[in-house]
Amino acid sequence: MSQRPIDLLVTRLNVSLMTSDDGACEFAFWQEVVNNQPVTTSCQTLLPDVLGILVADSSGCVLAVRAGRVIGIVTRQDLLNVIAHKSNWEMLCLAQVMTHPVITIAQSEIQAVSSLTQWFDRHQVSYLPVVDGHHQLVGLIEQKQLLLTANLKKTEVQINQQHQRAQLFAEITLKIRQSLQLKEILQTTVEEVQKLLDADRVLIYQVLSDGTGVATSEAVKVPYSAILGASFPEEVFPKDYQVLYAQGRVQAIADVHSPNSGLADCLVGFIEQWGVNSKLIVPIVHPQSPEQLSEDSSPARSNRLWGLLIAHQCRSPRQWTDSELELMQQLADQISIALSQSQMLEYLEERVNSRTAELTQANKALQQEIQDRKQVVVALRKSEEQLRLITNNLPVLIAYVDTQQCYRFNNQAYDYWLGYSPTELYGSSIKTVTEPSYYENIRPHIEATLGGKQVTYESELTFKDGRRRSVSGSYIPHCEPLDNGHSTINGFFALTTDISERKAIERMKDEFIAVVSHELRTPLTSLHGSLKLIATGRLGNLSDQGQQMLAVADESTDRLVRLVNNVLDLQRIESGEVTMESCLCNAADLCAQAAEAMRPMAQQHNIQICTELYPLRIWADPDYIVQTLTNLIGYAIKFSAFGTTILLSVEACETTKHISSHPLQSESSSSNSALFCVKDSGQGIPADKLASIFERFQQVDSSDSRKKGGTGLGLTICRKIIEQHGGTIWAESRVGHGSCFYFTVPLSRHQPIETS
Amino acid sequence: MTTKLILVIDDEEPIQKVVSLSLQMEADWQIICASSGIEGVCKAKVHQPDAILLDVMMPDLDGISTFERLNNNDQTQTIPVILLTAKTGTAEKRLFQKIGVTGVITKPFNPLTLASQMAKLLGWQL
Repeated sequence: MSQRPIDLLVTRLNVSLMTSDDGACEFAFWQEVVNNQPVTTSCQTLLPDVLGILVADSSGCVLAVRAGRVIGIVTRQDLLNVIAHKSNWEMLCLAQVMTHPVITIAQSEIQAVSSLTQWFDRHQVSYLPVVDGHHQLVGLIEQKQLLLTANLKKTEVQINQQHQRAQLFAEITLKIRQSLQLKEILQTTVEEVQKLLDADRVLIYQVLSDGTGVATSEAVKVPYSAILGASFPEEVFPKDYQVLYAQGRVQAIADVHSPNSGLADCLVGFIEQWGVNSKLIVPIVHPQSPEQLSEDSSPARSNRLWGLLIAHQCRSPRQWTDSELELMQQLADQISIALSQSQMLEYLEERVNSRTAELTQANKALQQEIQDRKQVVVALRKSEEQLRLITNNLPVLIAYVDTQQCYRFNNQAYDYWLGYSPTELYGSSIKTVTEPSYYENIRPHIEATLGGKQVTYESELTFKDGRRRSVSGSYIPHCEPLDNGHSTINGFFALTTDISERKAIERMKDEFIAVVSHELRTPLTSLHGSLKLIATGRLGNLSDQGQQMLAVADESTDRLVRLVNNVLDLQRIESGEVTMESCLCNAADLCAQAAEAMRPMAQQHNIQICTELYPLRIWADPDYIVQTLTNLIGYAIKFSAFGTTILLSVEACETTKHISSHPLQSESSSSNSALFCVKDSGQGIPADKLASIFERFQQVDSSDSRKKGGTGLGLTICRKIIEQHGGTIWAESRVGHGSCFYFTVPLSRHQPIETS
Repeated sequence: MTTKLILVIDDEEPIQKVVSLSLQMEADWQIICASSGIEGVCKAKVHQPDAILLDVMMPDLDGISTFERLNNNDQTQTIPVILLTAKTGTAEKRLFQKIGVTGVITKPFNPLTLASQMAKLLGWQL
């Protein structure tokens, strides 16, 4: 198992403490200070020889020994003095100049550097021979060397201590940097500081927001009681003290019981319960966050007092050193860093949690969306399959064409009818796969559809079996709304229906109607004529009841004749037998003709026809326009009250302006038209009937046809005529306020609009 | 005023009867009838009527063809022809006017005014 940083820290601290012990370094001291081979000679040695020995050995002194015992000593200085002051020095021997007796020290007396130093000082010597228990010389201590070595040792110890503290500081710093667990950091700090200072108790006191405090971490020696977890009331550490500490105050109290301690008696009494004799207090300040600073701009409060790092000495008072104080302060700074890191960690964890929650939520939403999309894709696929199944089984050509007129979808009918498979057609241009004449026929419709109009047309198409078939085509533009409110055309849907059978049936129907109408009309003519002749009375008189019945028969015959005529008219127009022979004509003249033609009928109902006519040149078939006008005037007369007025008018108009408001308009145009209007003040038409009255046999009231003698086809004929002119017909009405029937006919492009 | 001779060509006998009675009653004209175009052309040649009232829709030879035959024949081309027709459409009226008939009277006609209608078209005085 790898060693934790905290374990390493503890180990190193122990080693440092051992080497700082005096006894532990004694052996090294003996080797380094005691010269165990001092320079010796006999006391009879002549001074020149002694000098030679000193020079040769570079020694500071020479010992005179006899039988292993030291009997005298001469130093290099002594010798130089003799040489300088005595001319016969060369004749002198060592005994004559040496100092004796000699101060020695027993080997057993050497215990510590300090005692040796005192020994030298006491005897005022520079060299101290060392003797064993038998007074035999075993070594020599030179004061100079001793002091040098002692100083070196002292310096080394100091350096070691500094190194150890630096190491401790670095370790704690490293721990703070490596760990983000504030509680662990604080606990390690108090434990290591307690060991380093050899304090009885080291604790961290946290100041709470309400002014009270609590000991949050503690290292305490046995048998002293623990403070950990104890709460302190605000009085113990009042606010003004907190401010002082926040500003950097430190307090080292050697003896809390001393009158000079500066502590209040009550506080001394309070802390006595934990046996505190001496204390060292440094603040742990916590720089305020930018948000907190903005709330309180006072510079004095830029640092907030978070708590205190406190060392207690219980066994005795203690004089705290500057280095200890400094160490405590530096550690308090590191704790402050740890607090910031912890706060940042807390903030980051909060952010991470918040972000994780958001991401989890987003992930859930994403998963749901993916699930939804999958379901949509499955539904779309299913829908597409269903659509393809449906379209493939419909007897209609269905295609989607893009703006380049290329097929993007075709149903199977293209294969059945024309011999082109959908796969083969995909991406092909319409022009390249249709016969040229057919393409020329449909090209204007394609262009109109890509211009945004829905188009329906009829044409003929050659099927793969060579038969020509009548077809009806519908082109529906595919408009996609844009953000700016407009829309863009992406292509169009093309539906082509085989209407050959319908056409054949229509032809049969037309023929049938023509024949039937004629066959009906012939006996009707006889019937009608006979009744009229009988009614003259020239063929014999009838009773009054007979006359009444004759009148009923005559009226019914007239109605039947009108019905047959209308059926025939409509059939002819719808079958295309009728072509409008348009020419330039004056709209006002046509109105006048119609009004004149209907005036007798109006007079019968005591109804006046008023006109407001503007001479407008229109390009129209005059007979059919007059027929339309007389139809409309006839309706107005029928549905107007006795004695009222009908207004017939014509004026120029912008086609789009009027067309946009009526329900029958299928496409817009901006060309100029003549707007015809027949206005009555009759019973009016309900709004829900306005759109349908132009359909066959659609009357406001089914009894109308009987009451008014209508056929239910007149307005349909009018619509067909106006549509063939490229115009539009519609009605506006309010029940009880009368009706207005409008229709437009394009103005001649060659003639300017004449207005009065 | 001399009595006018009118040839009525119509395949429908009831119509012949109503027209005959009407014209006799209202104008006292003499009436001869033909039931087909071919018969009508023959009778026209033979009787040289003052006017011909010609039905348009007839089997075998319709009114337009009959008129063309009458018009192409020297003996009959000067006889005024009034078409009596059930075809009342604007387009048909135009067609009839184009081919040069004297007038068109639509079925069903009013028997009481038929003679006056004809007289007006023919420029006769009743």
